[in-house]
Amino acid sequence: MFSENRLTAMKHPLIRNLFISISLTLLSIGTACGEKIVVDPIGRTVHVPDHPLRIISMAPSVTEIIFALEQQHRLVGVTRFSNYPAAARSLPRVGSYVRLDMERILALRPDLCIAVKDGNPINVVTRLMELGIPVYAVDPRNIAAIIQTVQALGDLLEAGENTGRLVQQMQQRVGRIRDLVATSRNRPRVFVQIGISPLVSVGPNTLADELITLAGGRNVVTGSNLYPVFSREQILGLAPEVLIITSMAREKIFVDIKREWQEWQQLPAVRNQRLYLINSDLTDRPSPRLLEGLECLTAAIHPELLDMQGLNCQ
Amino acid sequence: MNIIKRISIISIILTIVLLLTMVLGISVGSSDQNLLHMVKALIYPEQDPVLSAIVLKLRFPRVLLAVIAGAVLSLGGVVFQSILRNPLAEPYILGISGGAAIGAILGIIMGLARFPGVGFTAFAGSILSLILILYLSSGQTIFQKDRLLLSGVMVNAFCSAVIMFLVSITRDARLHNIIFWLMGDFSTINALQAGLLLVMVIPCFIIIFMLSHTLNLLSMGKETAKSSGVRTRLIILVQLLTTSFMVSLVVGYCGLLGFVGLVVPHLMRIRLGPDHRVLVPACILGGGAYMVLCDILARTLPEQGEMPTGVVTALIGAPLFIYFLKRSNR
Amino acid sequence: MNAAIEVNHLTCRYDALVTVDRISFSVTEGEFFIIIGPNGSGKSTLMNTIAGLMRSAGGEIRIKNRPLKSYTQKDLARTIALVRQQASVDFPFTVAEVVMMGRAPHQGMLGLERTADQAAVREALTFTDLHHLANRKMHQLSGGERQRVFIARAICQDPEIMLLDEPTAALDLAHQTRIMDLMEKLKQEKGTTIVMISHDINLASLYADTLLLLKNGQVIRSGSPVAVLAYDVLESAYGCSLLVDTNPVKACPRITLVPESQLERIRKAGKG
Repeated sequence: MFSENRLTAMKHPLIRNLFISISLTLLSIGTACGEKIVVDPIGRTVHVPDHPLRIISMAPSVTEIIFALEQQHRLVGVTRFSNYPAAARSLPRVGSYVRLDMERILALRPDLCIAVKDGNPINVVTRLMELGIPVYAVDPRNIAAIIQTVQALGDLLEAGENTGRLVQQMQQRVGRIRDLVATSRNRPRVFVQIGISPLVSVGPNTLADELITLAGGRNVVTGSNLYPVFSREQILGLAPEVLIITSMAREKIFVDIKREWQEWQQLPAVRNQRLYLINSDLTDRPSPRLLEGLECLTAAIHPELLDMQGLNCQ
Repeated sequence: MNIIKRISIISIILTIVLLLTMVLGISVGSSDQNLLHMVKALIYPEQDPVLSAIVLKLRFPRVLLAVIAGAVLSLGGVVFQSILRNPLAEPYILGISGGAAIGAILGIIMGLARFPGVGFTAFAGSILSLILILYLSSGQTIFQKDRLLLSGVMVNAFCSAVIMFLVSITRDARLHNIIFWLMGDFSTINALQAGLLLVMVIPCFIIIFMLSHTLNLLSMGKETAKSSGVRTRLIILVQLLTTSFMVSLVVGYCGLLGFVGLVVPHLMRIRLGPDHRVLVPACILGGGAYMVLCDILARTLPEQGEMPTGVVTALIGAPLFIYFLKRSNR
Repeated sequence: MNAAIEVNHLTCRYDALVTVDRISFSVTEGEFFIIIGPNGSGKSTLMNTIAGLMRSAGGEIRIKNRPLKSYTQKDLARTIALVRQQASVDFPFTVAEVVMMGRAPHQGMLGLERTADQAAVREALTFTDLHHLANRKMHQLSGGERQRVFIARAICQDPEIMLLDEPTAALDLAHQTRIMDLMEKLKQEKGTTIVMISHDINLASLYADTLLLLKNGQVIRSGSPVAVLAYDVLESAYGCSLLVDTNPVKACPRITLVPESQLERIRKAGKG
């Protein structure tokens, strides 16, 4: 989370110029040609290179988007959990997205860093800017914003036709699900379990919540807490008909979790064997793959509309 | 030997040790670790501007912060050990750590920057808990050491509970920030902030050094000190406030680094004797060097990433502490 | 002769309890003044108040004809030195270092040692016969030796008045006399006024110029040992049976405790 005060300082012409001159003298990072001034999705004015060639992605979602735009040749560093696609795993690591390694970042001589709001710590961003490295921040907080992010990054990274194609693809997928779900009047009660111990679920204003609604379900969790903790008894009271588990659980652990839930036959979801495991990367990460998560959720909530077998949900 | 000569010789030796550890500190990092490369980069920055930037803008402020933190905590330990007449006291013992932690966590939750925002809230928290402790332990004889210690322990315990509560209700990325802070964290600092910190603690060092002889007199007992002409209440108050100020500044910025304020004064006392006029400069210089070494270990031991420095100081300090304890029982 | 210490209607309180009750007396310069009395009679409170360690609840104390309140802490330390019972030393200072700390009232803030200070320390060590122990650590000394160190430190303070709170308690016989002799010597050679609290009435009788007998915070009797150590006075003050006769070593009263088994026999023989 950024505090707007610190970043608006960059808008002041004097300070901006100071930073530019210091960075150019100290860090001659060899930017190709010139720079342009852009406004990033959260409203910051950033000096980015015309042709960024040494980009550091500060979140796994950004890495996925860059690969989806086929601009991975511009990437020189990613964060630790950038595990998709497979090619990303061989890129140099710069720490995790909450604990970035400044030295590694500097050593890679980036000409641009792409950060996510509500993810990367503000002080790291400030430090990078102080050291003369431009940081472009995105805020993919819901599906619409993710598509906007794809558009913005596509333009930034000169992805050309890939941008329009990817945006259109994503919009079509969302539209398809929307139409499909509209055919059913049923809105089952859904509980998404993201933590095993303690039992953590998702509240409104989270990505998963939006997915549940789009997928034609009703999130039983309301209230202002984004990631509330529950006891099993409390979940009983919520009586979900569908139980989705999205922790980074592998098959074996999922079998154990399923067994644990078997005691609670009072839960409609357990009684009717409506327990599903979905890869958390698909429901948690604001990238194009989120739409696969959407499809998986739809298949779980409305098996009559969509078949889960055809999808890759784990 | 003349006391002035003694202070000078020991200070010179320890300064050399400190400088050597600092050089080691800035030549170690997650990228290039070659000392020669580093020296070249410093002399000819144009040849390798990236390494020179890494060394000057990342490593050097961090090493400087480690020196300041080590010096402040060790000095705080010496002062509290004298005032409380307990060779095993720590600067956190009067609830400074608990209060500072609560203040810092609240600052992080409010979204303040580490420096000066969180540093300030931490300082405010520590002063509040210090006042609470002084109030709890006051009576006809203020500064009665056993009651001070007891109140300090109680307040610290209460603060721990509050801290756990605050941690449990924080659910987002700020939680990471809090936890790293709690474990001791030197990674977020720039040269300006380190310099400011230095400017603020140097007067504290000077004040405490000027009062080092009164620390000698105080270590023989408050009444004995008073009958030697020491205005004990005033002096103790000044020392408590000065120490609390600098310790809570450091805590506010770097988090909780345990055992340093226990181990370094004790090591120094064993080697150099109990005269505070020697111990004060020795702890400043030696404490700084010790912390730089701990930080180096924190950065180099793990295969990937770094450990929080507070973990290293605890891992080294706790066994040393046990060793001192057994030694003093003999 | 001038009064070194004058106490006028001094009252001390500990919460609601009155520990010293409007007492008045004066100590002449250069005399050996010993305060005796049963436990809880307010002796230590009295001494701590004279030394400026505790505040009084009423009355006045004058030191060398100046009110106690008018002295700064350091001024007072140059005039009065206090030796308490067996202070514990938690830190491993050497004898020489502890004695040197006595010079603090005459030094600057950092206590840097000048030649005058070193000379004073040497003299104090010789006076108390501690020269051979100068570099020994404090915790390696016996109780008696440690007490002498604190006395040497007090001597270094170069005071005109020396206050001692039961300096011979818990010491063996040899050290008891040694310390009393030291005080006597100080009085003779330097003209120091000695004010001491003693639990040993016979020692007090042997050495004191003036005795002050306290009970329940009040003065029962003050004056020469002969005047104060009368058996009826003592018996009512201490509440036990005593036999008072003359010490064969010096012409001063000698007090002997009478066990209950001997009481009848002594009474019949007539107490003296």
